[in-house]
Amino acid sequence: MKAKAERQSISLEYDLPHPPARVWRALTDPELLAAWLMVNDMRPLLGHSFTFKAEPTPWWDGIVHCEVLEIDPPKRLRYSWRSGPESSPLDTVVTWTLTPTPSGGTRLALEHSGFLPANAFAFDGARKGWQRMVGEGLTEVLARAA
Amino acid sequence: MASSAKCNPPATSSHGLTFHKHLLISYSMQREDAIFRALADPSRRAIFERLTRGEAAVKDVTARFDISQPAVSQHLATLRSAGLVSERRDGRLVYYRVEPKGLRPLIDWIARYQAFWVQRLDRLQTLLKEMDA
Repeated sequence: MKAKAERQSISLEYDLPHPPARVWRALTDPELLAAWLMVNDMRPLLGHSFTFKAEPTPWWDGIVHCEVLEIDPPKRLRYSWRSGPESSPLDTVVTWTLTPTPSGGTRLALEHSGFLPANAFAFDGARKGWQRMVGEGLTEVLARAA
Repeated sequence: MASSAKCNPPATSSHGLTFHKHLLISYSMQREDAIFRALADPSRRAIFERLTRGEAAVKDVTARFDISQPAVSQHLATLRSAGLVSERRDGRLVYYRVEPKGLRPLIDWIARYQAFWVQRLDRLQTLLKEMDA
């Protein structure tokens, strides 16, 4: 079954007391970025391919593959975010938007978009990868979980 | 669920997080950990697989594996506390079956990333305070 599911997104918004230039550095400088997000080889260049690396788990290699899709300092940064175990891969996009506030701070908006709902993973992806891990009966379990 | 999961932390909070959210995040990570740990063990995985094919009593499960009944019971208890199986009592027998929603925390990327970003943005705010202007 190929689930034709509507893609979903996560939106978060923060009012920060710091100016956009400082927030921008924290989002694009590899060392600063590593201090709060993950180890990476990010460079603020359009088209640059890079990775984020986290601790691997039994089901995930811990690697996020990214490409800078849009960059407009210090206002907007967009990169692809591809990851996940082969059993339920993610093909998503992360967008950062920085807007100066009257008080000299920054309104920081994060949008992480392109998620397929969990049930789509259950049918399309999880069934293949997890079947190898756990067994044939899992298909039905996942179908019921969706 | 709507096509966009909105989550706006209070703009005035320096942490951007409420206590309630902290609890939710830690709860979802504990759930995930418990599932990973439960399925990391080959015997438990085999038992879980057996149960995906239908409900079974401890003795039915034991008959198929080269492990003692107390060990099987212990494995079932671990699977149960991870939310992967549920039990049903019928007289003196206890039957185990797979809990269909048990694996849900692992496949629900939206819930996982929601928790992930809120936690990381908390760290970002701490870092921003420490950075040179």
